[in-house]
Amino acid sequence: MKFADFVSPEAIRAQLTATDKEGAIREMVQALLDAGRIRADELESIVKAILKREELGSTGIGRGVAVPHTKHPSVDRLVGTVAVSSPGVDFASLDGETVQLFFLLISPPDCPGDHLRALENISRQLRDDTFCRFLKQAKSAEEIQQLLDEADNNQFG
Amino acid sequence: MCEPKATRTVNVTNSAGIHARAATLIAELVRRSDARVSLIKDRERVDATEVLQILSLGTRCGEQISFEATGSDAQRVLDALVQLFADNFGEDQKRIQEAESPQ
Repeated sequence: MKFADFVSPEAIRAQLTATDKEGAIREMVQALLDAGRIRADELESIVKAILKREELGSTGIGRGVAVPHTKHPSVDRLVGTVAVSSPGVDFASLDGETVQLFFLLISPPDCPGDHLRALENISRQLRDDTFCRFLKQAKSAEEIQQLLDEADNNQFG
Repeated sequence: MCEPKATRTVNVTNSAGIHARAATLIAELVRRSDARVSLIKDRERVDATEVLQILSLGTRCGEQISFEATGSDAQRVLDALVQLFADNFGEDQKRIQEAESPQ
């Protein structure tokens, strides 16, 4: 699976304004709404579901990366977005570091395979330190999109 | 002097495979031990304290992986890891099912 298969280009955010976990999640879900990927009447339900998942254990998986996610019946295919926060957000990560780089995923309830393949792709690409660093330093959505395209074309790692 | 070393192979039997929460449970467990632990799948070897590396293997239900541990704590941490897989990462619990699949 490639980034282009699940990342909505119009929902990419290079400069998150939120400074806490709920705010960051809300901003990314709003970005998916603005991009027409989710319905307005589902926004609150999706935000709540993602926060409920965070209660089971943070999706801050270390190295300044978080993958907040949920299954939700309102989507019929995997949808996702990427966001960057330069100052970083306290996400109660495993390694105690703040998070600069977010990959938010919403998947249909009966599709665990796609969700796992998306996580596999994200983490495999992020193992490349250069890709990870460039993404965190990106200043515009266009720059992030270009990096994702390059990763999709195997230009990292 | 040789440090104690041990290996175990486990089958992944939870339907979601090794997703983010499962990978985090593995990494947390290994981080609490004094052993150095590698996770091996199809000849690819990763550090079992790193969630990103564990997830990069994309391990699905029905697949088999191995753990290799080195250090005085090796046997104990492998026992705990085997138990974690036998328990399907606690996914039978209602609270977890609800949060993973709302509504």
